[in-house]
Amino acid sequence: MAGWPLLRYTARTLLAAWFILSGLFLLSRAHTDRNTFLQNSTEGNGRRLSASDQAHTTQQLLQRYGLDVPLFYVTLGSAAATGHISWRWHGSRNQYHQWFRQLLAGDLGTSYRDGAPVTEVLSQSLSYTLPLTLLAALGSMGLTLALVLWLSHRPRWRSAWLSGLHVLRALPLFLLATCLLLLLANPDVLAWFPTFGLGLEVEEVAWWQQPGRLLYFLTLPTLSLVLVTVPGLVVQLNGALQHELEQPYIATARAKGASSIRVVRHHALRNALLPTVALLSELLPNLVAGATVVEVLFALPGMGRLLAESAAAQDYPVLLGAVGLVALVRVAAQVLADGLYRVLDPRIRTHA
Amino acid sequence: MKQLLPGLILLLWASLCSSCSPTPAETSSTIRIRWARDPENLDPLIVDNPSANETINLLHCSLLQASEAARGYTPWLAAAMPTTQALNDSLLLITYQIRPEATWDNGSPVLARDVAFTLKVMNCPGLPIEIAQAHYGVIRDIRLDPQDSRRFTLVCVGQDVGTSGDYAILPEYALDPQGKLRTVSVPELRRQQQPALAAEFARRYQSLELARHPERAPGCGPYRLVKWQNGRSLTLQRKTSWWADKLSAPPAVLQAFPERLTFQVIPDAATATLALRRGELDLYSLMPAGEFARLQQSATDTQRLQFHTIDSYQFLTASFNVRRPALQNRLTRQALTHLFNVPALIQASQQGAAYPSVSLISPRLKPYYNDSLPLPDFNPAQAVQLLQQAGWQRSATGSWLRGTTAQPVLLKLSVSYRAGEPSFETAALQFRAAATALGIPVELRPTEPSLLSRQVRAGETDILINNLSGQPFSYDFTSLLHSSSVGVSNFTGFSNPAADNLIEQLVATQQPARKIILLRRFQRLLAQERPFTVLYFLKYRIAATRRLGHIPVTGLKPGYEAARIRPLPLPVQ
Repeated sequence: MAGWPLLRYTARTLLAAWFILSGLFLLSRAHTDRNTFLQNSTEGNGRRLSASDQAHTTQQLLQRYGLDVPLFYVTLGSAAATGHISWRWHGSRNQYHQWFRQLLAGDLGTSYRDGAPVTEVLSQSLSYTLPLTLLAALGSMGLTLALVLWLSHRPRWRSAWLSGLHVLRALPLFLLATCLLLLLANPDVLAWFPTFGLGLEVEEVAWWQQPGRLLYFLTLPTLSLVLVTVPGLVVQLNGALQHELEQPYIATARAKGASSIRVVRHHALRNALLPTVALLSELLPNLVAGATVVEVLFALPGMGRLLAESAAAQDYPVLLGAVGLVALVRVAAQVLADGLYRVLDPRIRTHA
Repeated sequence: MKQLLPGLILLLWASLCSSCSPTPAETSSTIRIRWARDPENLDPLIVDNPSANETINLLHCSLLQASEAARGYTPWLAAAMPTTQALNDSLLLITYQIRPEATWDNGSPVLARDVAFTLKVMNCPGLPIEIAQAHYGVIRDIRLDPQDSRRFTLVCVGQDVGTSGDYAILPEYALDPQGKLRTVSVPELRRQQQPALAAEFARRYQSLELARHPERAPGCGPYRLVKWQNGRSLTLQRKTSWWADKLSAPPAVLQAFPERLTFQVIPDAATATLALRRGELDLYSLMPAGEFARLQQSATDTQRLQFHTIDSYQFLTASFNVRRPALQNRLTRQALTHLFNVPALIQASQQGAAYPSVSLISPRLKPYYNDSLPLPDFNPAQAVQLLQQAGWQRSATGSWLRGTTAQPVLLKLSVSYRAGEPSFETAALQFRAAATALGIPVELRPTEPSLLSRQVRAGETDILINNLSGQPFSYDFTSLLHSSSVGVSNFTGFSNPAADNLIEQLVATQQPARKIILLRRFQRLLAQERPFTVLYFLKYRIAATRRLGHIPVTGLKPGYEAARIRPLPLPVQ
């Protein structure tokens, strides 16, 4: 793929990204409850304002957030008397225009809650989320491969293991994580791991202790994520592998004298892995989106918690930034998956 | 390369082994406290959650502090309670004197001009402090005493002395070292007469980013910020020489014992309980009833932990939207009140740790509480009688109808509450069971908070179950029940001339004897009109390690006074 097709492909991807972000912006802003900003603040500090003060202060807040101008270039309305749909042109003085101009300049705006730049808020949350989700992703993939290979040589165990994995898959994440917490971080059972966070900042540790410390604190959150992810992956990969093992080329390989381990690892597994490439488009956005349940339970201020808290507080710049980032990563993951398919499967390349 | 990989694994293993000590050693100098949420914004003039409020009160001092013990305000930076003098019908002169010992971190004294500076900041246009500006807008001007640099008079609208002194005083030397705001007065800033000066100051103030860097405005409180990891923890260190240390017998408000306070943000209650049990936390306040009762029953936990409960001023209510046709009649609202079984509710959702009340005044406030009113009882027979008196008739199908045959009103209700709150849900379920038994169909509507807030303001709910917070020192019910607040903060839509009159008199009166009469009368009126019914007042539950010694608990959030905790000395090894 070179020249025009690549250009067309890039343009299409960018167009999709623009469409998604614009849709997110317009939908979230259209549902903004103007009075709730003030309501959240006054409920929090117990200060009750008079009706006139509330109206005035709300107007000031809306002005500061840039919400006092029309949402889009055009406003549609219907004239009740005539029944005709009327529209009004607002020019460039609208929320969408201002937001998009900022976006092109790489500015995602500032948080309504503390005035911090959204990029800074996102990068801070990602610094907590990425180690957790990357560890969980690597752990899940490693465990899946190991388990599938082990099961391929032990057909008698397969059915029992798969049943067990289906049971595990049925458990909700919060239940699994709570069980792990109550089993492995409980003074009444086993207090092997810490209950929350990443340690107290007052405890100074040497540089060489940092990775081990991070691993130690992330063990339970990572294990929770691994245990909910692995069953699905194992079931799928095992299915694909069994399907490949029934193909004629496997019989050829066996006839040529290849050992059963070699047949599985060098012939069947490679082809069985092909459908899992599609999972990449799921895995990458999940790495960025974080895991809200695990982050809340283990008190990690990552992306999942950021998304949930900014949605609850109607902090739309942060919410839009976070959701936009996840959406963009999803688009990028799909592009990557497409590319990988082309590399791995020559048939797709020739049909493109 | 072959040696590198085993080396890396060995390093990781060694660092993992060296980090495997889940329970940190207990030290007497640091107290670790659980927070459910991060303060998010630590600008001293934007305090919009309990965590931020607690932090600001440890970093900064106000002139007055709300005190539960005093059932009002007590002097903090002020040497004594201010003197007042009515200037005319609407304006009040409030004169303060600042404590002579009070100093900033650089050793310079806290003076009246710092208060003037704070008021000017609060009135400076272009700053993101609109709510503080609206709330403290009652302070119209400040007059400095030319003879005494610590004495000043505030010109205020209304009679509320507390509002004139419950904001953090900011250091002029740190925020406006050149004293540029000295040339402009508070009224001039309010009228925006010096836009260039105000804009220049607003730009400088904004560039400090106090919301995330509160250390740039060092307060005159006992603590300084050491580290704040957003969403994780916040650590405060006691100043080595705080000005109040010079006092021979500092009052409670000026006591600060812990050397270091670390607040850990742990959103989940079960995780926080485990952390407390393992010694990773020292204090856990506002604990859920179930967790608290479980710990109290555990022999190992009772050895390590101490438990406190204190009556709070927060109460659970069922509010009736009086604008709804079915709920317009007060007899109907009275009848529905009899369908709540309060003792059973207290047992079910609070493990018995709550107390009923006849109205929104806490029974702890004995002089103000109208104890001659009966507590609402669970009485379906009485409810039926009241419904009939209100004109409701039971049809052949069992439902309740009122009005003409052409336009009958059906008694069919919805109960709205914040989703995910067990105590609200329990109350709603109990009400539905009792109402259904009488033939009143009830729909439960657990709703997302911001959507619920929108529905309440739009008057789209029938019955709302939520918590309200009272105080032992403020009896202004204007926003909650005055007709002028309907559609804004009076979410029941209750509008009654007699109630309006009583609310206005309560705001205006300063005499305790008169206030007692008015409050009792007001409670009686509310019991008759029933715009809402108080189900119970909550108790705050606090669990802490025994090494913290006596915990000064309070009925005001967060339920304890962190600065006054005096950890016991460690036993000599």
